[in-house]
Amino acid sequence: MTFTLAATVGALFALGTFLVLRDDLIKVVWGLAIISQAANVYLISMGGLVAAGSDTVPILATHHAPFPEPTDPVIQALILTAIVISFGMTAFALTLSYRAYQENETINVTKWEQ
Amino acid sequence: MDLGFWPLAIAIGLPFVAAAGMPRLYPLVGERIGYLGAAVAAVSFGLLGTQIGTEGSVSRPWIPSLDVAVRLHADGLALLFALLASGIGILIFAYATSYMHGKPDLGRFYMALLAFMGSVLGVALAADLLLLFLFWELTSVCSFVLIGYHTEDAESQYSARMAMVITVGGGLCLLVGILFVAIAAETAGIGAFDLAAILERNDAVRVALEETGLFTPALVLLVIAAAAKSAQVPLYFWLPRAMVAPTPVSAFLHSATMVKVGVYALGRVRPLFHGTEWTSLVATLGIATMAVGALLAVLARDIKELLAYSTASHLGLMVAAFGFRSRYGAEAGVFHLLNHALFKAALFLVAGVIAHEAGTRHIDELGGLRHDLPVTAVITALATLSMAGIPPFSGFYSKEILFEATWETAQTGGGVAWLYPAAAVFASVFTVLYSLRFLWLFFGDRPDGLGSIHRAPGALVVPPAVLAGALLLVSVRPSAVIDLIVNDAARATAVGVVDIHAGIPRHVSGPVVMSVITVSAGFACFPFYTEIRGILEGVSTATARVHPTTVYRSTLGTVDRTSRLVRSRVQNGLIRTYVWWLLLSACALTAAGYASTAVGIPAPAMAETPVAVVLVLSVAVVAAIAVASAESHVTGVLTLGILGFMIAIFYILGSGADLALTQLVVETLLLLIFLLVLEEIPEFYGELKRGRALRDAALSVVVGTTAFVSVLLAAPERGADPTPTAVFYVTNAVPEGGGANVVNVILTDFRAFDTLGESIVVIIAALSVLVLLTMRDRGETQ
Repeated sequence: MTFTLAATVGALFALGTFLVLRDDLIKVVWGLAIISQAANVYLISMGGLVAAGSDTVPILATHHAPFPEPTDPVIQALILTAIVISFGMTAFALTLSYRAYQENETINVTKWEQ
Repeated sequence: MDLGFWPLAIAIGLPFVAAAGMPRLYPLVGERIGYLGAAVAAVSFGLLGTQIGTEGSVSRPWIPSLDVAVRLHADGLALLFALLASGIGILIFAYATSYMHGKPDLGRFYMALLAFMGSVLGVALAADLLLLFLFWELTSVCSFVLIGYHTEDAESQYSARMAMVITVGGGLCLLVGILFVAIAAETAGIGAFDLAAILERNDAVRVALEETGLFTPALVLLVIAAAAKSAQVPLYFWLPRAMVAPTPVSAFLHSATMVKVGVYALGRVRPLFHGTEWTSLVATLGIATMAVGALLAVLARDIKELLAYSTASHLGLMVAAFGFRSRYGAEAGVFHLLNHALFKAALFLVAGVIAHEAGTRHIDELGGLRHDLPVTAVITALATLSMAGIPPFSGFYSKEILFEATWETAQTGGGVAWLYPAAAVFASVFTVLYSLRFLWLFFGDRPDGLGSIHRAPGALVVPPAVLAGALLLVSVRPSAVIDLIVNDAARATAVGVVDIHAGIPRHVSGPVVMSVITVSAGFACFPFYTEIRGILEGVSTATARVHPTTVYRSTLGTVDRTSRLVRSRVQNGLIRTYVWWLLLSACALTAAGYASTAVGIPAPAMAETPVAVVLVLSVAVVAAIAVASAESHVTGVLTLGILGFMIAIFYILGSGADLALTQLVVETLLLLIFLLVLEEIPEFYGELKRGRALRDAALSVVVGTTAFVSVLLAAPERGADPTPTAVFYVTNAVPEGGGANVVNVILTDFRAFDTLGESIVVIIAALSVLVLLTMRDRGETQ
């Protein structure tokens, strides 16, 4: 399982990096979005991915001990936060790109006046 | 009398407090503020004076978790050094008040001078390695400000920077050396930074240093630090350049304080490191500096330059003395520390008087000043004869003890060790020569070009006269001074028993013969001073290519050019370039980390991956590839959406119900926002340059590989126990948080503050979007 996750994380990071380095500002924003997704998958891998089942979801079926052993809830909390933050960031980056286009009349970052 | 914490702490702290007040007070009080500095120095001097004869450490906790404390230690050596710094400080402030009359920026000047004095007192009394380092660097910073007093003058800027580069560079060596010693001290079971304890149990620390293999590195680093501070070969060149500073600064920094800091540190750590390596490194360094400094002093054309090189030479003498193992070494080093401070401070102040009254510092333009400056002439005679080591003046006693140390080392070592006494005599002959030359400014013929010279005002003559009085005391009654403090000081640096005898020798012995040769050869050569200087000039010109100054300048030039080149490559104003280098460095550092910890890549278990997960993730990667190669913006956004939804399904397969829900909402919203924005933005028509694409692809592969390896290395093993944090949240979610959905409980209960922060981030993003969009409509362009 780890190998699949590792390969996915590696591929997503690589593609995201490639996009971040492009001239087209919209592609840069895409790159950032892909890198955030990759980071989330990375976090999941730190919790040790196990096949889903009724006990692995961190929503407790019983309200008293003994509690089952679900997947790491801390990691899920982290990712949940990360998803929301990256949403905010992507939306902001997009608006910024729009404004940058308005001011510079091009979305080619190399053509901007420095 | 017992050692108190507050007398020492106030003696160090008061100059800093006064320094902080200087810029405010100066506009109110005016130039007389210098006397306030003198008063502060006098208070420190007095407080330290009450501690003479005490010995021990006091401390107040500072950073207990790191075992760092404000530890202060007083013994003979610390008090001698601190008393010299504050005592000469009194005279310097008094002298400066008159000398600096009418000069600009005096508030800053006195502030730096006071802070400098406080730092030197700190170095002297600190018994904590980190505290010592702190004060050590403070002296460098303050001296930078003082040497660069003429801020507009290019030469002053250059010299200040040179002093800063050399001494702070040495300071960095000190820091590393200190850390090595601290490691060893901790191994030996002593508080890591407690210098007093380390020196008390130096045998244990020494064994620990040798066992960890840090003995030689620590020794070499500390010696480099001391050599940089105390102007030893080949790092002496900043000292003569520092003479661009006003004379009171030169007198203070280069007689008793700044340059003595290195010598003092060597004396401090001497009991810890003494041995064969110590002698061969430190004594050789010192003797070499002694000789080179003396030769360069003879070459000098400017009186302050002569004094600067002579200072380097005398520092060499002290360093060499501390380098020798025998008790004579400790005695000579400490005694000369005192003598040199007295005569060199006096001579610098005399040089200031000459420059002030005659208007020139050029040696060849000066002469016969005894008629115009009779009192100064007497002071100069005392100081120069002491500097030359002519009996019965004070410098003779300490130099004689050094000769004894070299003689003894040569006798026990034999062979090459005889070079020590030979080089010492050689250097001392030149010392006699330049000392006499300085004296000749007063007793030679008066050059025709020299204009009329006024009598120096009392305020300029009294400080050197006080120093001359002290010199006279040491010359006439050396035993009194030795009993008061010098003996105690030598004991602090010595390994065995010390017993200083100073006096005119009554029996013929090796060292006595050395002295006789020195003095007679010096006097015999003096008539040929000009010829000797000519020969030395020839040698100097022939070796110009390897002068440390030349090496320094070319090194600095190379550094300058390299950094300009790096800047144009790495920081060229395009964010892309910054990202490129940033990612590359991050990957390189990560890889270096993995390589240094030598972790092997675990064999990945592939077979157990459920088909669904493989499928979903494959689609995600394919979608990402489609995004990267999208022709139009709309295709790109749609495929990006596919990627997002695949990740959401992956969360479901990974038991993350809440994650999947959030991801689905966010993806839908993002898709909408993207499409809305893209409607306003044209398609991009740019060609992909092959070279750049390849370069970026290479970096992408590097980043991807690093991420791949990191996941393999960091992912927990299959079936590993859940972390204690996870267990805590699962077991406490219901009793503490009252909810069965653990993730929700974490976000809204246990870590509610973090969630609040997160909400604020989203709000700020929303507000920024709003502002960005409405700003332009209000006509605020650019």
